Amino acid sequence: MKAPVFEAGNVTKVFPGVLALDEVNLKLASGSIHALLGENGAGKSTLIKIMTGVHRPDGGVMKIDGQPFSPHTTRDAISSGVGVVYQERNLIPQFSIAENIFLERLSAKPLQRIDYPALYADAQKWLDLLEIDARPETQVDKLNVARMQLVEIAKALSLNTRILLLDEPTASLTQHETETLFGILNRLRENGASLVFVSHKLEEVQEICDRVTVLRDGRNACESRALHGLDRQDIVRLMIGRSEQIPQWNQRDISGDKVALDIRNVATQDGHRDINFQLGKGEVLGLYGLVGSGRTELAKALIGAGNVTSGEIRIDGEIAKIGSVADALHQYGIGYVSEDRKGEGLILIHSVLENAGITVWKRLKNAFGLLSDRAVVNSVDPVLKKLEVRTPSSRQIVGNLSGGNQQKVSVAKWLAANVKILIVDEPTVGVDIKTKAYVHELIRELADSGTSILLITSDMPEMVTVADRILVMDEFELRGEIVNDRNYDLVSERIMHHIHGSNEEAAE
Amino acid sequence: MSGIEIDSAAVPEAAPKQGRQLGPLQRFMLSNEFGLIVLIVVFAVVFWTVSPMFLSKFSLYALGRTSAVNIMIGFSMMVVIVTGGLNLAVGAIGVCAAMACGWLMQAAGMNWVFATLGGLAVGGLLGAVNGVVIVRSGLHSFVITLATMSIMFGMMIFLTQAESYREISPVFTGFGRMKLWGVVPPMLLMTIVVGVLLWVLFTFGSLGRQILAAGANPAAAELSGINVGNMVIWCHALSGMLAGIAGFMLVSRTGAAIPSMAGQLGQDWLLPAFLAPVLGGTLLTGGRVSVLGTLLGGFLVTMLTGGLLLMQVGAFWIQTYLGLLLLLAVLLDLARRSYLARNKLV
Repeated sequence: MKAPVFEAGNVTKVFPGVLALDEVNLKLASGSIHALLGENGAGKSTLIKIMTGVHRPDGGVMKIDGQPFSPHTTRDAISSGVGVVYQERNLIPQFSIAENIFLERLSAKPLQRIDYPALYADAQKWLDLLEIDARPETQVDKLNVARMQLVEIAKALSLNTRILLLDEPTASLTQHETETLFGILNRLRENGASLVFVSHKLEEVQEICDRVTVLRDGRNACESRALHGLDRQDIVRLMIGRSEQIPQWNQRDISGDKVALDIRNVATQDGHRDINFQLGKGEVLGLYGLVGSGRTELAKALIGAGNVTSGEIRIDGEIAKIGSVADALHQYGIGYVSEDRKGEGLILIHSVLENAGITVWKRLKNAFGLLSDRAVVNSVDPVLKKLEVRTPSSRQIVGNLSGGNQQKVSVAKWLAANVKILIVDEPTVGVDIKTKAYVHELIRELADSGTSILLITSDMPEMVTVADRILVMDEFELRGEIVNDRNYDLVSERIMHHIHGSNEEAAE
Repeated sequence: MSGIEIDSAAVPEAAPKQGRQLGPLQRFMLSNEFGLIVLIVVFAVVFWTVSPMFLSKFSLYALGRTSAVNIMIGFSMMVVIVTGGLNLAVGAIGVCAAMACGWLMQAAGMNWVFATLGGLAVGGLLGAVNGVVIVRSGLHSFVITLATMSIMFGMMIFLTQAESYREISPVFTGFGRMKLWGVVPPMLLMTIVVGVLLWVLFTFGSLGRQILAAGANPAAAELSGINVGNMVIWCHALSGMLAGIAGFMLVSRTGAAIPSMAGQLGQDWLLPAFLAPVLGGTLLTGGRVSVLGTLLGGFLVTMLTGGLLLMQVGAFWIQTYLGLLLLLAVLLDLARRSYLARNKLV
């Protein structure tokens, strides 16, 4: 390995009551994409925050080009060439691409007029370099997620960033967008940049990274090791300290089961047309589609949060009139686990009890509209126990729980309400390996106990592992239905055929 | 409360990072409410040292009466703040309700019970109008209530010809002058009763919890089956009624319903309306409420105003001091919260 551009030696960080990082080492070389891996809570984010000047380390040293590096603020880190692109966008939506890229340097002096032609010309260079297909004067909120991310990368690079940290950059990208991003990252690597890639998607790590550092419980499980020669199982073992148990689930016989949800010729205000499908009792029906294909919108229309304009929804054979989410929940027993856990799934500033109990208040209140705490606890506690939600008490604020436990709470509220049909939207985005396996088992268990599940996901392995049947959605229409025979290659090929086949037809 | 027992030895990758656990007393001592109690005691001692008159029966009675009104005004704003909005029209609605009550007694000759109920209905209705317009238009409550404040006040002046109603039922005025045990105004008890009811609503009420959920995260609440729009309308209606009660208290104290009793457009109420809940720790972004905090906050503000008047600092200085107090209390609360967060005690 060449002399490292960046070096962290024995970095330690203590938060009251917890040792977040315990003598962690990391060496980054130029012209390299370095994977930083670990389960949630392993210390990845703490390390990133120390590198970017958000936190100060309690011990250890960092060096850039052999010179001591101790940033006090993110500004210090940026001026030393360390930049970060977070999962949450840090752009100003109402500003143009060019203004966002050069935000801190719009003009030389504070009161000087901004030279927009020059600004746009400068921005265009970065757009060209990153192959962003948009004009520099375009307002950022008009861009899709993938392009916003590229604009953030452009912004970081324009600040002479040599060490660029990417935190889950592909979490909300489609497969195609991910490939484009990887092409760009590869070119940056060839140009000598040092990139750090944080991701839970090990397939991607193996595709793009050359070195790997794994953290486990705040310590190095391996440090700056060549990725070559490590297979998926080796990495997983480093991350969780044991082998991954991949469930070998059998084909389930669901042919004799009753139809729980029957959708006939449904159209919605969002633009769905002729949606037809049946969800059997106790079945896991997969709904595959890329981001923006209309899956979430369909789910929301079905639970009364969107508008169904025509067609028929039958539940247990009876025509259902779902006018609001309250109708869906209280009359028909349909629940929806949102893909956007923090934005729509949970109330982060409220307690576990409030979040999990929100669906049962209506049922438990007495004649005066009052609730006894005990009644709520009694109906919520068994579910929290069953899901093994790890929290010091059910009074804990949900925002303080780990991502995996938050996800469990967002499922718990529907189980507490005893829903018969559960729509689960991208349940494992951004959760770690252990939790992911757990969520899969949970879905399976729920289905076995008679809950009908509509699983929305763009994660192909997840779909093949969990679903019984798979619907393919593209451009707000259902393109086909596939019986899942658990053969990954065949199933994924058929799914892609349904999506791309239809695109070709549309192009003609 | 049973909670979830976790044997930390059995689950090594266990529970969220947690500092020490606190007892209920320690928890209370780290709370915002305790901070307010300390401030109240400190200022009371200061005022009493400077002017022993401060603790006289007369002064305490006046303090009780004024704080009863201010706290009620604070409640009126508080129930809208929990939805993440605000209600600039509290004063206008309060005066409208009081004038309606006065009109019902004087011009319509109703007895005080029906007049009060009628005034209350006017307050609730005007609040509900605010709520409906806010929900239907999707605009921020700031804009809507700024407009309705003017409209409602203007309509009231037009309808009453800016005349006061002075033929107030003796029951009403007697209530305002009554003294229990020589110092306690029944108005203060009434405010406390309303406070207890609000506390019950937000702590045990299904409606109260739905309101808090809708305020904290409307999208999540909506997707959990809560009709967020209805919650906002309910809160504004409740706010209107509470503003009405505050207005009735002023009527019973002065013995007349006067259009200017809350200043031009009812703006005189806005300072106590915001100070009480904000000092009390009600989250401006919605979703968290402290009824006791609002009560203490309203009391502190009133006490400070009264104490400063007693010390004969100029009236304009009082505004300055109140502003300083707000800053001080908010900064103290900030320090307290960052201390809690740093030590993972929340």
